Amino acid sequence: MNILVCVKQIPDPAGPQELNNDNTLKREGKLILDESDSYGVEIALQLRDTAGEGEVTLISMSPGEPSGLRTALAMGADKAIHVVDDTLHGADALSTAKVLAAAVQRAGDYTLVIAATESTDGYTGTVPAQLAEILGLPSVTFAKSIRVEGGKVHVDRQTEAGYDVVEADVPAVVTVTAGVVEPRYPSFKGIMAAKKKPLETLAVSDLGLDLSSWGQNIVSVEDAPSRAAGEKIEDDGEAYLKIVEFLEEQKVI
Amino acid sequence: MYEWPENMQLMRNVVRDFIEKEIVPNLWDLEHGDLPPYDILRKMLKTFGIDSMSRERFRRSIEREEAAARGEVDEERSAGDEGESGIGRDGVAMGMIPIVELSRWCPGMVTAMGVSMGLTGSAIMSKGTLEQKKRWAEEILTLEKVGAWAITEPDSGSDAFGAMKATARRDGDEFVLNGNKTFITNGPYADTIVFICKLDEGNPPDERRVVTFVLDSGMPGLEQSKPMAKMGLHSSPTGELFLNDVRCGVDRLLGGETSLTQTRAAQKEGAKSTFTMERSGVAAMALGIIEQCLQKSLEYAKERKAWGRPIGEYQLIQLKLAKMEVARLNVENLVFRYIEMAMDGRDLSLGEASAMKLYSAQAAVEVAMEAVQLFGGNGYMAEYQVEQLARDSKILQIYGGTDEMQVQHIARDLLSR
Repeated sequence: MNILVCVKQIPDPAGPQELNNDNTLKREGKLILDESDSYGVEIALQLRDTAGEGEVTLISMSPGEPSGLRTALAMGADKAIHVVDDTLHGADALSTAKVLAAAVQRAGDYTLVIAATESTDGYTGTVPAQLAEILGLPSVTFAKSIRVEGGKVHVDRQTEAGYDVVEADVPAVVTVTAGVVEPRYPSFKGIMAAKKKPLETLAVSDLGLDLSSWGQNIVSVEDAPSRAAGEKIEDDGEAYLKIVEFLEEQKVI
Repeated sequence: MYEWPENMQLMRNVVRDFIEKEIVPNLWDLEHGDLPPYDILRKMLKTFGIDSMSRERFRRSIEREEAAARGEVDEERSAGDEGESGIGRDGVAMGMIPIVELSRWCPGMVTAMGVSMGLTGSAIMSKGTLEQKKRWAEEILTLEKVGAWAITEPDSGSDAFGAMKATARRDGDEFVLNGNKTFITNGPYADTIVFICKLDEGNPPDERRVVTFVLDSGMPGLEQSKPMAKMGLHSSPTGELFLNDVRCGVDRLLGGETSLTQTRAAQKEGAKSTFTMERSGVAAMALGIIEQCLQKSLEYAKERKAWGRPIGEYQLIQLKLAKMEVARLNVENLVFRYIEMAMDGRDLSLGEASAMKLYSAQAAVEVAMEAVQLFGGNGYMAEYQVEQLARDSKILQIYGGTDEMQVQHIARDLLSR
């Protein structure tokens, strides 16, 4: 079973973040595999291993070195397609989906396209659904488990109340919720082998796309409003009742 | 090499992540409680596939040896990119990363692991017969079993061979072993013990040949003590061994009967390669301790305020930080130099290895003690961890040859040129 996993390389969220003059995020430093993508990679590896055949191919669009892709290759993915192009600077979600869709169409036969529900840097959460629409595929979101059987993908789809059992024809685009599996650590051998795995670097022109008119402008960036001051309660020995009352109001207890 | 290559940085990051998730939450039990380090170490080895790499390497080595015994030369295998050490060009650097990273939190775990997989495993691999390697080495090299290497005695440390009292006496086809060993890393939990003693053939002690046996826990007459109380390195259980008429066959004599005809020069050569491995490992441990102390000190110097200013703004604190950074650069350069030499297939001389250990150990102790000082009262408290590293680092000047022995080895090497 061939599985494509869309992964994003992002600046390390643990480090300080800066914006460019055009209000886009600075991505000059070393980029890492977005943690939220590591779950999809893990699920894809498990599906491949259970099937006992096929390949996991990574698809990514980002500037710079493929350092984050190497992490996923070290985990066990078989190959990667990396779209790098200066013209993609500041690309919005739809442009990104178009680029990824074009890359998917170059990747040969596949059963599933897996993505995270949203990235840790952009948080639009719209790319996977756009990707499915462009590719004309079913879109299943918020998967907590995925099984492929009888030409269909069976997904337990997380909801606020529990989960829905969903099925769709394959190929399909499925997004994976963060935290549903324990992503494996890359082994040392996997890290050494990752250097030699196929990694195709493509420009927008290789994909036959013209994105010149699709740019977006970020007009301004405002700080999030600071939190309003909380309520102070002096403890006269009965303050715990206030806490209980508050938690009840919030329907937490 | 002035920084870890990209793939090694990835290894460092994933090991660091594992340590933060699996070891740091257990640090108190490892360092102040009774939690032995082995299960966590095994989990680490398995997580990163280090155990299976070790197993593959072992099996290849055995296959080579068996082929050689049949008179076959395996061109493909011997011409591979593994080098003399059999662990490959990247193997040395790869081996250093867990040592550095573990030493940032738990230098004792490195000691427990290194003595088992390194010292004990390589003693069997370098001196054992094919049968002995197959019988004991694989499980030790993968840490399925815990190994201990027993040389030190209550009255013999640096003068290990000269003052050694433990003996093996022949009795028919068997040997009868007696003696006490102390400061034995992994002693309390060891499954397999490499026991070094002297063959008593009725000759005077200083003329007796040094012989080595491989013992298994539970053999009649072998007693393993509980962990000894000590200054630091609590995540490495240290114990005593008491042998009272332990009987064993020649199958447990390391190297078999032929070891009894080995010259002293050949024995010394074997010891030298052990020393070199051990000493370079100490430099990597020192690097981990120094990196951690510097990082913690920097954070503290920025956060902690005195007279309304972060203490990092005061020159006396700046001097401490600057000296820590100098030590870090120097020790890192020594470690990188060792890796580069190994990649070129060159061994450190004993003098070089000793110089590396002497400097690194002293630097680690100095940096860790200065970190305690920089943290003030907090530094003296266990919560801030630098006091643990200060206690732990002191062992680097004592085990694997004391500073005084390193000086002697360096001077001898210099004067013999």
